[in-house]
Amino acid sequence: MEDTNFSKPTRQSTKGIIVIFAFNTIKFVKRYAVLLLPFGVSLIQQKSFARITPLIMVLTLVCLVLVLLISAVLKYINFKFHLSQDDFYLASGIINKNVTVIPKSKIQNVYIKENFLQQLIQVVSLKIETAGDTISEIEINALDKPTALLLKKELYNKAHVQYEETIPKEKTEKHNVFFKVTAKRLLLEGLSQNHFKSFLLIILFIFGLYNEFKEFLEVLELEKQLNGFINLEKNDFLNHVITNVIIVIGVIFLSFLFSVVKTFIVNFNLEVVENSKAIEINKGLFNKLSLSLTPSRIQNLVITTNRVKQYLGLHSLAVKQAMSSAKQQRNFQIVALEKEQLSVLLSKLLPNYIREGNIEKPQPYFMLISALKIVVFSVLLNSLAVFLFGNVMLWINIIYMPLAILYVYYAYKKAYYIISQNFITVGSGVVDTVTNIIETHKIQGVILKQTVFQQRRNIASVVIITASKAVTIPYISKSKALFVYNFLLYKVESQKKDWM
Amino acid sequence: MSFSNLQIHDIDLPNIETLVLKPISKSYFKIIALNKLAIYLGLFSLTFVIKFILVVKEDLEFNTSILATVLLIFCLVNFILSILAFKKQKYAIREQDVIYSKGLIVHTIITVPISRIQHVEESRSWLSQYLGLSTLKIFTAGEAGSDLNIKGLPHLEAKQIKQIISEKLNGRH
Repeated sequence: MEDTNFSKPTRQSTKGIIVIFAFNTIKFVKRYAVLLLPFGVSLIQQKSFARITPLIMVLTLVCLVLVLLISAVLKYINFKFHLSQDDFYLASGIINKNVTVIPKSKIQNVYIKENFLQQLIQVVSLKIETAGDTISEIEINALDKPTALLLKKELYNKAHVQYEETIPKEKTEKHNVFFKVTAKRLLLEGLSQNHFKSFLLIILFIFGLYNEFKEFLEVLELEKQLNGFINLEKNDFLNHVITNVIIVIGVIFLSFLFSVVKTFIVNFNLEVVENSKAIEINKGLFNKLSLSLTPSRIQNLVITTNRVKQYLGLHSLAVKQAMSSAKQQRNFQIVALEKEQLSVLLSKLLPNYIREGNIEKPQPYFMLISALKIVVFSVLLNSLAVFLFGNVMLWINIIYMPLAILYVYYAYKKAYYIISQNFITVGSGVVDTVTNIIETHKIQGVILKQTVFQQRRNIASVVIITASKAVTIPYISKSKALFVYNFLLYKVESQKKDWM
Repeated sequence: MSFSNLQIHDIDLPNIETLVLKPISKSYFKIIALNKLAIYLGLFSLTFVIKFILVVKEDLEFNTSILATVLLIFCLVNFILSILAFKKQKYAIREQDVIYSKGLIVHTIITVPISRIQHVEESRSWLSQYLGLSTLKIFTAGEAGSDLNIKGLPHLEAKQIKQIISEKLNGRH
């Protein structure tokens, strides 16, 4: 490990055996849990199973563990990596030897992750992500932290020479902690989240549980219900309402708890560190994660906030880089940013970003479409409610209808777009206020979309496609749509800038 | 930092609206028609199978004839729609980009700048080989939506377009 330039094939830290062993064991147990179950049960009961005595069973288990351990050791021995001038080499495989070569210029991202076990034995795993197929992702399970950081730097260093030759290498490494989240702000962030999603999730979960145990409950309460049937009938409606209210309050409480806990686990100790070349994000409680953002690789930015969050000064910034999978995209979120911090960070990631130009709105046709969507949804919801609970549930419409109207109003109010010289800003959202920012030279293609019904009204939508996301400017007049279309194509084709 | 923000007038930009797109080869409709016919045939034979298997129950006799009529109407409408949709499939190649438009009910015009193309593929089924056609597949790094799949190009033209794009792509580096 003293070999600091990684030019010779190196193994990971010896602790890697433990990590590989743990991973393999978990994988093995997951795969064969069903087969092992009867084994374990009879072991606990100290009975023989299919003429196998407990002693033999214990022996087989020991053998299994040994086999797993040996394979972990072999895997460790055969896992070697090194760096050359332009490429990263990885040799792996016990029987089938594989050599993976990744040109440094193709490396999209290098992550450092730490799960619970790795935190215990103080190693980190390093993940190298490339553009292209998911197969070419590489994970080194156990490196001690300084080595991992060094390797990461090394991988980035040369990968960037080809792209950013103009930027002089600064010898002085500045590690400026730009932003660090406090527990209080995380709590606020969790509380002020859009709870509709977790609310729905928990309702579905409870409903599923209820259905599972329905029969069981019925058997238990049959007698009780028969006794109280006559008494209950008078208060039945009131009871129904009270039970429903209690359930709703319970679910709301649960969804708040769920959001807060989730926010804490994912964003624990969130830190934005600025060094000379890139911006680094560190976060996570059980799975510690550290990743770098390089401005040239960023494909689009999404800023999300809502009414409550705006009041509390909470903004989150999601950065999407090319070709990262959906799971990793979520990890790119930086939450609980103050407005000033957000604008500073924005200026770091997108130098020259100015929110200038005319704010254009979609046509009022937009409201028609969202109203139509809401109508379809409410018809579905009502029929489901009536089907499941009877006509009693129709009272929900009293609450639901104003919400639906607000939905249509806010969806339209928050929709806008700005086309400036180098940036496209598209606003959307209903509960949340979402701002999408795209640099014009990151565009991969443009689509003009128009349905038969929109043809008569002279309305069209423009879909802007980047390597990480498609952003739609919905329902604008056709002449404006055409202008945006032509203009964006002109910008992409005349700038001659690389998208990555 | 020099920053310019000149207004760009609508007229100065290359306009997609005035561009004359080229329809795809007429003989490609033969392939569409054959595919459609195969599907219709399959559906009809399915109804016949249902009829013969369930012929024991007499009250189902009525239902199968209704089913057949509905199916016939569906097939006719579907066929007419596919003729109309076929006419909407057009393409063009400019100096800087490739344009493909399609869709009857939802009409889309997709433009991909040549500088963003990752690679180009030309593929031919045996039927299109017989008709002298080929499909041009253009891949970008973008989301699935920006990949072009231009079907029913005359084989020679597809080859030419592929040549042009490859040359431009290679010249870029």
